[in-house]
This record gives sequence, structure tokens and C-alpha cells, in this order.
Amino acid sequence: MRKSGYYKESLHKWHERGNRSYIFILLGCLLILFFFLDIILGSVYIRFSDLFELFTSGANSSISTIIFKFRFPKAITASLVGVALSLSGLQMQTLFRNPMAGPYVLGVSSGASLGVAMVILGFYSGPGTSGMMEQSGWILVISGWLGAGSVMLLMMFISTRVRDIMTILIIGIMLASGLSAVVSIMQYFSNETMLKAYVIWTMGSLGNLSSDQLKVLTIAVLTGLLLGVALIKKMNALNLGENYASSMGMNVRITRTLIFACTSILAGSVTAFCGPIGFIGIAIPHVVRNMFRTSDHKILLPGTVLTGAVVMLGSDIISQLPGSESVIPVNSVTALIGIPIVLWIILHNKKISGLG
Amino acid sequence: MDRNDSIMLSIDSLRIGYGSSLLPSPLTASARRGELVAVIGRNGIGKSTLLRTIVGLQLSLGGSVRADKKDISDYSQVELAKKIGYISTEIVNVSNMKVCDLVALGRYPYTNWIGRIDENEILEINRSIEKTGLKGFEERYISELSDGERQRAMIARVVAQDTDILIMDEPTAFLDVISKYEAVNLLSDLASDGKTIIFSTHDFNIALSHADRIWLMLDDKLVEGAPEDLVLKGLFEKLFKSEIVEFNRADASFFLPDRSGDSFYIEGEGLLYFWTKKALHRIGCSVTDKKIIPLIKTPESLEGTWELVTPESTFSCSSLFDLLRMIRKNMG
Repeated sequence: MRKSGYYKESLHKWHERGNRSYIFILLGCLLILFFFLDIILGSVYIRFSDLFELFTSGANSSISTIIFKFRFPKAITASLVGVALSLSGLQMQTLFRNPMAGPYVLGVSSGASLGVAMVILGFYSGPGTSGMMEQSGWILVISGWLGAGSVMLLMMFISTRVRDIMTILIIGIMLASGLSAVVSIMQYFSNETMLKAYVIWTMGSLGNLSSDQLKVLTIAVLTGLLLGVALIKKMNALNLGENYASSMGMNVRITRTLIFACTSILAGSVTAFCGPIGFIGIAIPHVVRNMFRTSDHKILLPGTVLTGAVVMLGSDIISQLPGSESVIPVNSVTALIGIPIVLWIILHNKKISGLG
Repeated sequence: MDRNDSIMLSIDSLRIGYGSSLLPSPLTASARRGELVAVIGRNGIGKSTLLRTIVGLQLSLGGSVRADKKDISDYSQVELAKKIGYISTEIVNVSNMKVCDLVALGRYPYTNWIGRIDENEILEINRSIEKTGLKGFEERYISELSDGERQRAMIARVVAQDTDILIMDEPTAFLDVISKYEAVNLLSDLASDGKTIIFSTHDFNIALSHADRIWLMLDDKLVEGAPEDLVLKGLFEKLFKSEIVEFNRADASFFLPDRSGDSFYIEGEGLLYFWTKKALHRIGCSVTDKKIIPLIKTPESLEGTWELVTPESTFSCSSLFDLLRMIRKNMG
């Protein structure tokens, strides 16, 4: 019964499957290309011959250090961030059936920010803050996670109590604003050094992860990704809204909770490790919906994840300002790339109905 | 025979609403296999709430809903989704969704964890697309369909769900007259295939001309029966009681009750008689069976003239428009 390639032929008439595979191949190639470019381009330019030498004869100490200590982990981090944020953005846009929803609408990143702010802005009364930051990024990460996790639990609780999904969206946005206001108060009462440290954290950074942290981030993102794949069918039903999904046999409460958990793990971890990186989560799902012209998450999910990784790697390449000594904050790059994309799609699509 | 005529859906002493019961008395009604049931009632009486309760989207406040002789609370959610399908009033407008994708969603309760569509599913999907007359529309995006086509696509989805019972909340609400009748004809066809269809509507003529049974939601109770029975019992007057509009039991039409217009006797028959009478009703006059003056003689054919005989004189008019003008002018 179970033939391989089962429904591709049968469905061939329905979809432009051919086109789709080309797009996926293109995205795959771009991913590999950008990954390499991200490793090669930077303040120290690495030649292909250096790379070649590294892989054939090994040991070129300085090049090997740059690549394995800095560039490679950073490229992996960029890919993971791209995957995580774009996937959670996709989930939020489908769940809320709102094209302006993104990974942060549940207040997850604001929760993480509050956690981090509590540490950096001195409400944490441990050893001297500057020393602490060198001591271990773990404290920041854990506090970020705790912040994101508390918000996630709160939103899950609310989602089982509140029927209307739009009400939940509004509560999430209000909660995020409220948390930001608290952070503002803390910023107001903090000294310059702390303030600068916090502001720099909010600008996002892909390069500060230790190898242990990278492992944890990888596990978190893979967990989220697996959960995301498991939710594909439910996401497709949610295209029609919760009422229809429920009438087709989907359990709304369980699904909501799983989606919230998935998004929180993804967006919360990224924010905890790399800061609140914006626009990827909103822009990428739009791009992918328009690229594939489908509402089927069996296609949207892999497309979104790949595109997210590619764009994030691209942003990282730009933020390293190849050929120069300095770097610019990655958050500014994603915003400057994301905003035109969102605007273009909105202006290009005359019919803005439902999802972008 | 027994199976084909069995009761598919019954509600028994059902109380519906959010927190407090909407209606003062509990609702009891039923529907047999293959019946097209229209739910009628004024706005806000709880038609949508009743339908949502039957589908299980909303908890009842008491009483029971039985689908195929089993209480809906005894079904698992997926099993219930294989028994009862639902179309809400909400206009679904997902961009980038093709008709075939929409219809394929109807297979949700039958597909595996990732929603794999295999040959069997494709067969079912194609069958629903054909049954709803959407062949050739598979590749179209639903955001590009007309309201009537989109509603048919929604019906195709629920047909693909392959349920014995279909619940539809105002399936004809946003449609133009032709699409409305097309949609209801489709529902009739589905019913004669053996599905039990419960739909709410404000379109009274559609309910009267197509429904096998009507669930009439009045302020104090739910009454069910064949549309004609309910008309004869005078229940529609109760529903549509209004200061301004009245329901005419004789021909199931609404009219503005006699606004002190004159009474006429119409001499004539057939279509011309019928429309002359309608025209008189429209301007607030009434028609009697007694041969009195004023009197109107309808022509033999449209080429002829209407004669209006008043106590004072006789006028001839070439159209009903002229006739009405003459009546207004001469009878004050």
C-alpha cells in the first residue's frame, strides 16, 4: 500500500510541485553559500586556500582559532536564530490569523528582557556586575529564560481561561508593553555602565555564546523544531480559525498550549542567548507565503525555517561589515532588511486579506 | 427502511446559552436521516448558539444532544468530527489557500499525524469537489472566488469530512439570489443523498420551499414540523408579529397591513389578477371577494387595458403603474 513518492504524482495536478522543489533547492544552496560566506567574511579575511589548507594539513593555529572558536559557532548560532524566530513567527501568524503577529506577541521576549534587565541593571545583588558578566554569560541566559518562561506559563494559563484568541493576542501585547515599562523604570534608575551594558544586550549579538551555551541553544531550537513539525497538521486546520479546527476534531486547548510552548522555547531561548532580535519573525513567514503561494504548513514550515536561516546568515555577514574592523549590531541589520521586505509585500499585495 | 428513516439527531430538554439560559424553556426537537431542516427565529433568539451547541463548540447548560442515538459528550472529539460537520457564519478568507487545499482540510479527522493525503483521501476530495460542482476550481485561490463559489467550497470541505450530519449557520447569508438558490439546491441534493442537514436562515421563502422540517424558535419555545403545518397553525404570525409588517398565511407572503386604503373588487384571473392584487396591497389597499364598487377589470392580455370603475366614472389604464397612479389621484 505504502508506495514511495505516494502522493506526489497524484497531487501533481493540484500544486506547482515542480516550482516548489526548485525553490527548496535554491534555498538549500543559498544556505550553504551564506554559511561559508559568513565564515570567510569578517574583519579578518580568510582565503579559500587557507580553508583548504586547514582541512587538508590541519593546524594553522590563528586561522583555526578564528574559524572554530568564533566564526563557525557564530554561523551556527545565526542559523539557529533564523530557524527559531521565523518558525515561531509563522506559528503566531497562523494561530492568531494576523499578519502582524510575530514571535514576541506573547510577551516572551519582554519577559526575557525583564529577566536580563534585573541582572544587568543591578537588581541582582551579587558580585560586581561587570565582573559577573565576564564570569559567565549563564546568569544572563538563565535569567532571560526565567523571564521568558514565566511569561509563557502566564500566557498558557490565560489561554485556557480565555475563549477568544484575539483577546489573548491583546493581552499578550499589553503584557509585553507592561513589562517594557518596568524595564524602562529600571533603566531610568541605573547607572551609565549598567545602562550601556543593557542597551548593548538589546541590540542583539550572535557571537557571545560559549560552546556549552551553543549546545543548549541547539537542543532548544531542535526541540522547538520537532514540536513545530508535530504541529503541522493542526496549524493547517488553524488556517480556518479555531472554530473550524475544533469542529474537524482538533483540541483547541491542547493545541494552543503546545504552540505557545513551542514558540516560547524558540523565541525565549533565542532572546535569552542573543538578545531580542527583531523583524525576522514577522518578515520571513510573509516572504515564504508569497514565494510558495500556499497555506499548507507542510511546505511553509521547511520553507520558513530555511529562509530564516539564510536571511539571518545574510544579516550576520552584513553586520560584520566585511573588510572593515568594526561590526554593527545585528538587530539593526535585521530591522533594515526586514522593514523593506514587510513594506514591499504589503504594498505589492493589493489584496491584503487574512494572512499576508 | 428502518435505517433510512431513523432519527439522526435529537435534542432533548436542551438548555443553551452562556452562563444563563437564553430561552426560558428547554428545547426539544429532532431530525431524521436525509432531512433538510431549517432553523428559523428572530435575530438574537439563539440560533447560532443552538447550532454551536449541537456541534459541541459550546457546552450545553442542560439536556442532551444525541447524534445517531449517542450523546455527543460520549464521542471523542475526532469521532464527533466524523459524525457532525459544521459551517459557521464567519467568512473564511485565507489568502494563498487553494480550493483543493480547503477541501482537503475536510479530511482532517481521517488523516495521520502530519495530515498525509493518500490515494483514498484524494478520491474523497475529488468526489466532494465534483458533488459541489467545483470541478475546474481546484487550482483557484479561495480569496479570488465569488461569495457563492466560496460558500460552495466551504460546503465541499464539509462534504469531504464525510459526516452524517451537517450543521450550517446561515449558509445563504451573504449570497445573491441565484447563489442562494444554488446553495440551497446543493443542500437538498446532499440531503437526498442521506445526509441530515440543519441550517439556520432568515430567508423565509427558501425555508418554506426547500426544508423538510422547520425548527421554529419562538420567544418561549421551539416548535418543529413541516413548514406547511407551521404556517397553517398560525405560528409564523407569532414569530413575525410586528407593528409594521404582517404575515399572510394564505400565500406565505409579508405585507404591510391595511393602511386605511380602499377596498377593491378585482375582476379577472391568472397572473394578471395575482399581480394586480399584489400592486393594490403594495399601496395599502385591500381586495375583497364581494362584488363592490370600486372595481377593477384586468385585461385579457398585457396588450389590453385595466379598467378602474369608481362610483363617479370609469378610467382605463395601460399599465399597473398608471392604474395605481389613477387610484391615488382619484380616491385620495
